[in-house]
Amino acid sequence: MDPSWWDGFSAMVRYEMLWNLRKKKFLGMLVLAIALVSLSLFLPFLLAGLTGQEPEPNPDYALSSVAGVGGLGFFLFGLVTVINSVSSEFEQGTITPLLSKPISRTTVFLGKLTGAFLTLVATYTVLMAYQVVGGILVHGPQNNLHLTPLFLLGMVVSTLVWVAIVLTLGSVSKNTTLTALATVGIFMGLGIVGGIFAMFTGEAWVLTYLPGGGASGFIAQDDGCPLAPSMVGPHILSVVSTGTDSVASNLVQYVSNPAAEVTFCTSGFEGPPKLLYEQPMSLVLLQSVAIAFTYILVFCLIAWFALKRAEVKG
Amino acid sequence: MNAIEIRDLSKSYGSITALDKLSLSVESNTVHGFLGPNGAGKTTTIKILMGLLRPNGGSVAILGRDALKGDPTVRSKVGYMPELPRFPSHLTGEELLDIYGRMYGLSQQRRREQIPELLEKVGLEARGKDKIGGYSKGMQQRFGIAQALLGDPQLLILDEPSLGLDPGGMVEVREMIRTIAQNDATVFMSSHLLHEAQQVCSRITIINHGRSLVTGTLEEIASQLQEPPTIRVEVESPTDKVTKAVRALSFAKDVSVADSRLDVTVDTQEDVRGEISRAVAKAGGTVLSTEVLGRSLEDTYLKLLRRSGR
Repeated sequence: MDPSWWDGFSAMVRYEMLWNLRKKKFLGMLVLAIALVSLSLFLPFLLAGLTGQEPEPNPDYALSSVAGVGGLGFFLFGLVTVINSVSSEFEQGTITPLLSKPISRTTVFLGKLTGAFLTLVATYTVLMAYQVVGGILVHGPQNNLHLTPLFLLGMVVSTLVWVAIVLTLGSVSKNTTLTALATVGIFMGLGIVGGIFAMFTGEAWVLTYLPGGGASGFIAQDDGCPLAPSMVGPHILSVVSTGTDSVASNLVQYVSNPAAEVTFCTSGFEGPPKLLYEQPMSLVLLQSVAIAFTYILVFCLIAWFALKRAEVKG
Repeated sequence: MNAIEIRDLSKSYGSITALDKLSLSVESNTVHGFLGPNGAGKTTTIKILMGLLRPNGGSVAILGRDALKGDPTVRSKVGYMPELPRFPSHLTGEELLDIYGRMYGLSQQRRREQIPELLEKVGLEARGKDKIGGYSKGMQQRFGIAQALLGDPQLLILDEPSLGLDPGGMVEVREMIRTIAQNDATVFMSSHLLHEAQQVCSRITIINHGRSLVTGTLEEIASQLQEPPTIRVEVESPTDKVTKAVRALSFAKDVSVADSRLDVTVDTQEDVRGEISRAVAKAGGTVLSTEVLGRSLEDTYLKLLRRSGR
């Protein structure tokens, strides 16, 4: 009797997860993220202690920020989770025995992708649990904790965009160094060039359609653009970003405030900030989710096709 | 049904032709040696069999099923050990065998039984819980054999199975191959060690420049060459009388003498060593030994390669 599809798939997921969770760079990244969460938890209290001021408890701490995992965190977790998934297998020759087993290359790819997904879910669950428990212990009762699973899912989706990009580069190049350099180049290029482009042209909407942080807007109490758009204060209730990195925060923002309007202004680099456009929060969320899934789908299709067509030479 | 049936298989890497309409049949329940010099196309052929490379043309059937359709279950009864195999360093030997065993659809019970057996068979029973990253090259080679035997394959494809093994390991591998062949399995193995192929293979295919030069048993291959065999006769102090007596034999085409050796080229494929010995004895000589030259695999192999242009 031939082996079932499930046999091959479940074996492949186990193969990938064991690899991911035992990688030193992955474990290093996890330790770094935990350190950053710890810093975000305790630093305000340390500073308050140093300055002699009474620290202010933050009831929104747990879900107001992804303390250990921001845009750079999504990128780095995406990179270290799958950097070895395809290219290293070809470089080290471990792909030869793997692909000679009675499982299809599609199953191998789906197993690797699922392994990456589960690894990220497990990692972010640990981080979120630490952040939530730490938030309760340090800041007291936290708001919106029922949204934690949604927030977690959003973080995973944001990271999967980078996972798909890394898998594509790895499957096409079959070279780990090239994959890492190209991914870093894309991340920095989009961040720096995209940011400069948006700043000088006022066409910030472009960033909405690129992987990464996206365009920054805000939910304000009244009309008009503030002088300092990044500062939350009496005028600005909260800052909103449109990019694929903002799926988690946009999900929580929408559930908390579904009727909100998001205002986008110029940076104020050349004179006072001017109103660019306004969008309902629902559209901002929809765009970030749809664009993230489009990138995941397109890049995964390219990566799958490249793996399916790859020849094992050497 | 043949275990492997290859017809007109072609493969090019850019302008380099690796396989040039290679045809080959591997009979079931045989140990079939696949010989050829470096770059002859052995590994390319094996990788096409395993779905790792795509051919430019031709057909491949494994155990009666089309191996080029992309159906992975064709490989469910095939064990494969690549040349100098490499395995994920972060997994232990037992973990990887368990994962591969699942891919073959082995039940948990079967995996629990077979994994320790296989590790013991290849002498890695004490290292099963160690990460493969800590294995030596020879141990990885042994592990490669163990993973190829998972699920009791009907067809075992081994690409240079002895490469990287110490002499003791080589002997063990040959014994293992013989045992596998006795259990109704087919072994198709490439090797650059001619004496290894001679010792374990019941049939042999020699390829060069991506073409099959000859297939058959060693004797069949030698007779296909249709070159007159040379019989070397070691004689104690050969005299002219002895030489003349040998030259007078009807089948003797040429006799050359060097020290105590007489190399007799004969025009028959029959074994005439007895007649030569009798002629030497009748002429007053003493035969110390006789040997048929040109029938060793090495001689046959070299002659074939010379003929094919190398």
